[in-house]
Amino acid sequence: MEGRPTDDAELFARAQRGETAAYEEIVQRYQQLAFRTAYVITGSAADAEDATQEAFVKAYRALASFRPGAEPRPWLLRIVANEAHNRVRSSGRRQQVELRLAGSYRPGGAAPSPEAAAVAAEDTKRLLELVNELSEEDRLVIGSRYFLELSGEETADALGIPEGTVKSRLSRALGRLRARVEGASIG
Amino acid sequence: MAELIELEQRLSRLGGELEWPATPNLAPAVRLRIATRRPRLDRRWVMAAAAAILVLAAIAAYPPSRDAIASWINLHTFIRTVPHLATPTPLPPGPLGQRLGLGQQSTLPQARAALRWPLLVPASLGEADEVYVQPPLDSPSGGEVTLVYAGRPGLPAAGETGVGVLITEARGAINSQYFGKMLGPDTTIEPVTVAGSSGYWVAGAPHVFVFVDSSGQIRYETLRLATNTLLIDVGGTVVRIEGNLTKAQALQIAASLA
Repeated sequence: MEGRPTDDAELFARAQRGETAAYEEIVQRYQQLAFRTAYVITGSAADAEDATQEAFVKAYRALASFRPGAEPRPWLLRIVANEAHNRVRSSGRRQQVELRLAGSYRPGGAAPSPEAAAVAAEDTKRLLELVNELSEEDRLVIGSRYFLELSGEETADALGIPEGTVKSRLSRALGRLRARVEGASIG
Repeated sequence: MAELIELEQRLSRLGGELEWPATPNLAPAVRLRIATRRPRLDRRWVMAAAAAILVLAAIAAYPPSRDAIASWINLHTFIRTVPHLATPTPLPPGPLGQRLGLGQQSTLPQARAALRWPLLVPASLGEADEVYVQPPLDSPSGGEVTLVYAGRPGLPAAGETGVGVLITEARGAINSQYFGKMLGPDTTIEPVTVAGSSGYWVAGAPHVFVFVDSSGQIRYETLRLATNTLLIDVGGTVVRIEGNLTKAQALQIAASLA
């Protein structure tokens, strides 16, 4: 998922010429980011899988509309996000994403003592709880920017809003999160 | 400010510690679904592609058309030949427009109130049977509105859709939105002028619309009518009139837009 423009350009060119093996490699390369993006939008792993698969099939059929030399990541993410939003719309509801810390999470790396590590772990856990308590709109924008590490433009595409709205929405979401963090006296 | 930056840093670190659902390996399923489409890349489509290239070549060879089309492309339209034409998927049941995936059902007053640009309605067709709005309305395209007219005497329904005429409007002259036009065999495209507005009359089947907007919507999967189509630019609004119409009928509808 790292930016490898030359490889991507070549893969897309080969896929546009009908090489399915090249397209398969594109799927392998982008499926994690695509799936996680769909998961953040739908809140359901099953829906995210369906949406991502459908998006990759549609993207293949729409390869003719991909402009050679363009950055493929936003193009793919737009299609994935659209499929994910379609699923949310058709089911009439969106499940709330409950993000959890990985079981292997160990905060001790930077902590000077076991006590500090325990405090850091608790703070991280609490921060995630506070994020999960935010409104859906706030969680989506924070999740897209910081957890999926999408750019502002990609976040705009994923959420179907203008980039300027991403900035203002993110700023408000961070403000609300900060107020909660201060209220909870963590960090 | 410093607190905000620290909060952002903590969120980024938190992102790396999250437990995500395991990413499924989608390549085999995608490969299978792509492969099932391959037999359709048969001789008919090869012929279609060849014909499409011929049409475009003919247009490109004629300077006035070429210039006009180049200008149109710069504004709103993206014309490209393709290795094969998309096959429409079967339409699900439901209201006329919903089957075509036109967006959220609305009413004319609601749509007008929501839009930031003036919606045009053809006086010659009267009130639309259904109205659809495709958000986001605050996007550069200003959203998209489709007026759906059911088939009626003198206005035959296209295919099995039950739809007589579709009129789709979006704000034009934007970069993030473009129309794609896939031309099949026997498809013709000619420049037209309607009440001072320039556009194109695209006739002959089959032809397929692809419209990828800023939200990633690809419309040929939920194919519209794939019939004769008039594309015109009325004061910065791209209007697309689709239906089993003659050129004269389409021009008459366009001339009555107000």
